Amino acid sequence: MTGYSKEVINDLVNGTLPWPQTRRIMSAYKDDDRFFKYLAVLQDRVSWSDPILLPVSDHLFICDSAEGRITRCECGHSFGDYRKNWKLKALINVRNTEESLREIYPNSDIPDPSWMEIREFFCPNCAHLHEVEAAAPGYPIVHDFEPDLEGFYRDWLGKPLKEVA
Amino acid sequence: MLDRTANSLQQRLLESERLMDETGCYDGITELRLRKEDPLKFETLHTKLRAYCVSAREMARRISASPGVREVGEMVVAIYTPEGDAIALSNGIMVHVHTMSRFIKWMIRNGYEQNPGIRDGDIFANNDAFIGTVQVPDVMDVVPIFFEGTLVGWAGAVCHELEAGGITPGGDVCLAQERFTEGLFVCAEKIGENDEIRRDYVIRCERNLRMPIYWVLDEKAKVAACIDMRESVKQLIGEIGLGYWQQLSKEYIEEGRRAQLARTRQLTVPGIYRGHTFYGHVTEGKPGFQPLADPNWLYNIPIEMEITSEGKIRLDFDGTQPWGYHSMNCTPAGMDGGMFVTLTQHMNFEGLVNDGAWMATEINIPHGTWTNPDNEMAATATSWALLLPAYGVFQRLLSRGFIARGFVEEAFVGQVNSPMIEMGGTSQYGTGFGMAHFECAAAGSGALAIKDGLDTAYVGWNPESDMGNIEIWEQNMPMVYIGRSIVPNSGGAGKYRGGCAFISTWLINKTDHLRLVTSEHSSRVFDNGGMCGGYPAPTCEKHHAVRNSDIFERAERREPLAHAPGTDPLVSDFERTYKGEQVWEEGPYITRPHKAGDIFSHAYNGGGGFGDVLERDPIKTAWDVENGFLTREAAEKVFGIILKDDADGYPQADIDATVARRAEMREERLKGAVPVSEWIAKESERVRTSDFAAEVAKMYRGAMKLSPRFAKDFKEFWGLASDFAIAGEK
Repeated sequence: MTGYSKEVINDLVNGTLPWPQTRRIMSAYKDDDRFFKYLAVLQDRVSWSDPILLPVSDHLFICDSAEGRITRCECGHSFGDYRKNWKLKALINVRNTEESLREIYPNSDIPDPSWMEIREFFCPNCAHLHEVEAAAPGYPIVHDFEPDLEGFYRDWLGKPLKEVA
Repeated sequence: MLDRTANSLQQRLLESERLMDETGCYDGITELRLRKEDPLKFETLHTKLRAYCVSAREMARRISASPGVREVGEMVVAIYTPEGDAIALSNGIMVHVHTMSRFIKWMIRNGYEQNPGIRDGDIFANNDAFIGTVQVPDVMDVVPIFFEGTLVGWAGAVCHELEAGGITPGGDVCLAQERFTEGLFVCAEKIGENDEIRRDYVIRCERNLRMPIYWVLDEKAKVAACIDMRESVKQLIGEIGLGYWQQLSKEYIEEGRRAQLARTRQLTVPGIYRGHTFYGHVTEGKPGFQPLADPNWLYNIPIEMEITSEGKIRLDFDGTQPWGYHSMNCTPAGMDGGMFVTLTQHMNFEGLVNDGAWMATEINIPHGTWTNPDNEMAATATSWALLLPAYGVFQRLLSRGFIARGFVEEAFVGQVNSPMIEMGGTSQYGTGFGMAHFECAAAGSGALAIKDGLDTAYVGWNPESDMGNIEIWEQNMPMVYIGRSIVPNSGGAGKYRGGCAFISTWLINKTDHLRLVTSEHSSRVFDNGGMCGGYPAPTCEKHHAVRNSDIFERAERREPLAHAPGTDPLVSDFERTYKGEQVWEEGPYITRPHKAGDIFSHAYNGGGGFGDVLERDPIKTAWDVENGFLTREAAEKVFGIILKDDADGYPQADIDATVARRAEMREERLKGAVPVSEWIAKESERVRTSDFAAEVAKMYRGAMKLSPRFAKDFKEFWGLASDFAIAGEK
């Protein structure tokens, strides 16, 4: 069975594993113990101790905490109940003028702001840009991902999560 | 078990579907008996079938006259069961492996066994998307495989034709607004018998196409590939026996289905995933468009994906736009094909690749939308325009699952449209001609979650991307290249940037009549997205051209030429360099003909970015600036990376200054942004008063009319009354 050390997974996740090695991992059979090694790598990365249950973006994690299962930024900021859309508790900057769109697209043709705007969702604590939406004005904010967390741990990983109130 | 030889194909197809419904397994194969008995033989025989396909395709490419097939590889072949399910396939335009399956099933359901009959040596062709293809230039040929009088399968081949004889030249007939202007249709037709293409069919092609040599020689190439595969399969059956073959071919597909479910459970996380993209189509005032509907459209393409606990992937297009009088509609065959080609690239990287993977998915394409028009007169010649962005969303949704599960090396921000150029008129040889320029088969890819996207090396429809050689294209069209270069900043920004696109610039040469038409590029909106904080790629580029340029005079005077429009979006290098009539065209490039001395340029698309721009590596960025993938301006403004020059004048990252600048940018972010709740409260007033551009309002009306769920979600999000309607609704 294929398997890699935690150090290799760490370098892979950080994008620092040399390409030939990365390529071999991409071409090989997948390692079945990846998930928990991945969680361990991510847990080492954060300064807080609440156990990470599932990453949902590059620096956003569902974790167990005193306030229940929440979505947490790598910096520690909580976006609340993981079943709710974390974006609704973020800071937003909307680029819907030619001037503000040019800041990101200085040398290209840009969208017509009356047809499309660029929405940036930041962590209110560390200002990390967690997600960008390109949407028509008035388009509802998307709830990107609603994982079946309990089902995943119970049926796919065979390690049911503790019940929470 | 059904007698697989005595019953009609129609009965066999119905029985196969019933068995699938009843057992949940393909053709009722609940046990992989042959695989269990001898797994090595099982795998070896599949490798043989795959080798038959790959070798037949390579042979056929050498028969073709079309640079699309010869150079770029716009072809795929596959072997099918008698009921039309793919067992094995070649590389190439794999989307059509499943569309051909639809074509075979369509013939079976429509009584082709009785009339026109299905006999050994017959050749059937189709390019009708409502029967089973994506668009009019995708012409497919299939031949039945008989073994000792019994139909034991089909061999099929598809080539993308460079000319389809439509209202505008080329294959992707941009100007078609209804089926009747798309070009030459071959609707599940028997075009040959006894392994020979009928002469009257060839004459029809010769009389109805601008450049019949492409289509006709491609037919010969496809028929040769099919016969080659047929004979190989017959030889194999001679070795392993008919009964073994019949069981084996079905087990391959069931194994593919099971493997897909297992891979989904291995690589992703169950749950609901959502995403969207948009596409803008601007035709107002363009010559040739008939006033059949509004001239401009904004399409929203929302996708909800469910991964069930079984590992099944369900895609739902509910909430998208109605079909329209344009050529961007898609048929169920095209939608299924898009799903198939995406899965083959993203999940089927081990095990058997065949129709089984597709059977482990479900797709909801609401009737009446562009994904499933309720009017078969709808045109589909440029259906990729909406199909590619849609399946780019699917790739991002899957990638979210890969990231959640830890398989970051598989996460990929997705494919983009890669705009086509079609052309026709008088060639450099003084003859009539028509052609699609297929260098578009090499766009930038979306970023990965661990590295930048591929530059000029990926398109979703053909993972074997290739732009072809300049010299070959120049042999086939009255234009010569005066530039082909990377477009700086064309990849979406992010920790890992999207792959960059390229732009070509041509001098129109030795002709007084060249019609140029472009398609599959969005206007006024980006038709792709970023991921995890990455930005979308800038994919609403306009066209630049110069009519009656002074390029020959400049060349005579040995003055420098401009080889690309440059990086100033307001004044191009063409304007700075050439005298003549400067053209900036938005939307499909449909204008009066060009002639020798004119200059035309066309940019392809880059892919979306991944991750926060402020995490991008400054050293890599300096390299990007040095090599023309990013501009200095973007490095500083977008990424907060300060560059200085080294002793030799090359850009070098100033790490301290970068750290300081990025700290300032983070402060600026917090200062400039507002809580989402505050923004929603303010924005809801705009929504309440329908303060939108006409096309945006029309988009909302269209989505709400076709989708009660979209209407409900929209109203709930903005806190609107249940009877709310976008102003102006009739």
